[in-house]
Amino acid sequence: MRGLDIQYMFECFPEIIRGVPNAIIIAVVALLAGGIIGLLCALVRFFKVPVLRQIVGVYIAIIRGTPLMVQILVTYYGIPRILEYLNYRWGTNMNVNSIPAIYFMFFCFSLYYGSYMTEMFRSCIEAVDPGQLEACYTVGMTTRQGMIRVVLPQAFSTALPNIGNNFIGAIKDASLAFAVAIPEILGRARIVAGRSSKFLEAYIVAAIVYFIICTICQFAVELMEKHSRKYSTR
Amino acid sequence: MSEIIVKCSEIHKSFGDLEVLKGVNLTVNKGEVVSILGPSGSGKTTFLRCINFLERADHGSIAVNGYEVPCRTAGKRQILELRRKTAMVFQNYNLFKNKTVLENVMEGLTVVQKVGKREARERSEEMLRRVGLGDRLNYYPVQMSGGQQQRAGIARALVLQPDVILFDEPTSALDPELVGEVLETMKEIAETGITMIVVTHEIGFAHDVASKVVFMDGGVVVEEGTPAEVIDHPQNERTRQFLNKIKE
Repeated sequence: MRGLDIQYMFECFPEIIRGVPNAIIIAVVALLAGGIIGLLCALVRFFKVPVLRQIVGVYIAIIRGTPLMVQILVTYYGIPRILEYLNYRWGTNMNVNSIPAIYFMFFCFSLYYGSYMTEMFRSCIEAVDPGQLEACYTVGMTTRQGMIRVVLPQAFSTALPNIGNNFIGAIKDASLAFAVAIPEILGRARIVAGRSSKFLEAYIVAAIVYFIICTICQFAVELMEKHSRKYSTR
Repeated sequence: MSEIIVKCSEIHKSFGDLEVLKGVNLTVNKGEVVSILGPSGSGKTTFLRCINFLERADHGSIAVNGYEVPCRTAGKRQILELRRKTAMVFQNYNLFKNKTVLENVMEGLTVVQKVGKREARERSEEMLRRVGLGDRLNYYPVQMSGGQQQRAGIARALVLQPDVILFDEPTSALDPELVGEVLETMKEIAETGITMIVVTHEIGFAHDVASKVVFMDGGVVVEEGTPAEVIDHPQNERTRQFLNKIKE
């Protein structure tokens, strides 16, 4: 039985850790863009806006009904086709092949996390006592003013720990980006291992890197949980 | 002689098959304190919520200070306009939980009435001192007792200088020992001449403070008049039964 090549693990650590920024960028974009999509869709659902509500329903059903991996591959191969078609149709000259692969990941992750954050935001908005919005009305506020000034801040405060958990999920899910050759943490580990054939060592290092990042984030989430209890007790 | 400030005509409201209000009429003069009494399920709270369109009545019209709105067809702007002539104090206070007491009171002034920050702050602090919360300005609602929260709720309504303040069972959620301080505050503001419509179970308050008492049962006004007429010498059998039960 061969032992682990510990020294090799230390050697490849710096190279694998260089994938961290990519993973974090993907997670941050997923959270910001997905958060905006999620909030808007949650409002559509909360106020039962006709037509838009059905569209949101279909969007969520599609995203939830398919694996993220499949969505990444379909996006990666599908979007260039669509652009090609648009070029052909409108006579434009978009360079289809020069789009960095990471943009497809941004697109895909935003939609994916948007769908999950829709339900999360909706339940947080619904958890705010309806009396709060009524109180806004009685001092003469419009629905928009009441939502922005009173209801959403309370909903957001409940949502914070959840948003943090989504961020941790997104960092781990970003590992799927290796499928479209983006050098994030797992992707780099694969490249490094491909050169030396020491796969186990490289993947263990990747696991350690993920573990460190996620533990730090988990700590931040726990702080948020404490903060979010500020108004919740009666 | 006296000026009519609130006029509700033929208010009907159903929830599904259940007809809660069957044509309620109410006229309130400026400066009057009207107490609405009645057994639970009589529709008194629903009626109060129809006045500021927290519930939209199916028929009838509401007029506040000459601004008349048809209930069934009223648009957003009309409802907003009407609401800005009224204010409300809730049974469970409904202070904005994400804001301090001072911010709660300032909110309507700065956001709705566009009063400058400094003036809004001065008026709000003054109002909070009047209800005895001058030392609680920067507390969050969760940090205060029910009685304190309700007095802050009263300050939030009062600072807007509305034509009428609607009170929805303001003492029903309070611990018994806290009821007194809220009733005392309400009594004080009643003496300043502000128009109040108060749904309440506090017969004592209705008797001593109200200028008019309305008894509701089964979705209609059964009897109305001065406290001496309705509470001391009720003419209607249902009023008598209700009062007897409460006095027991």
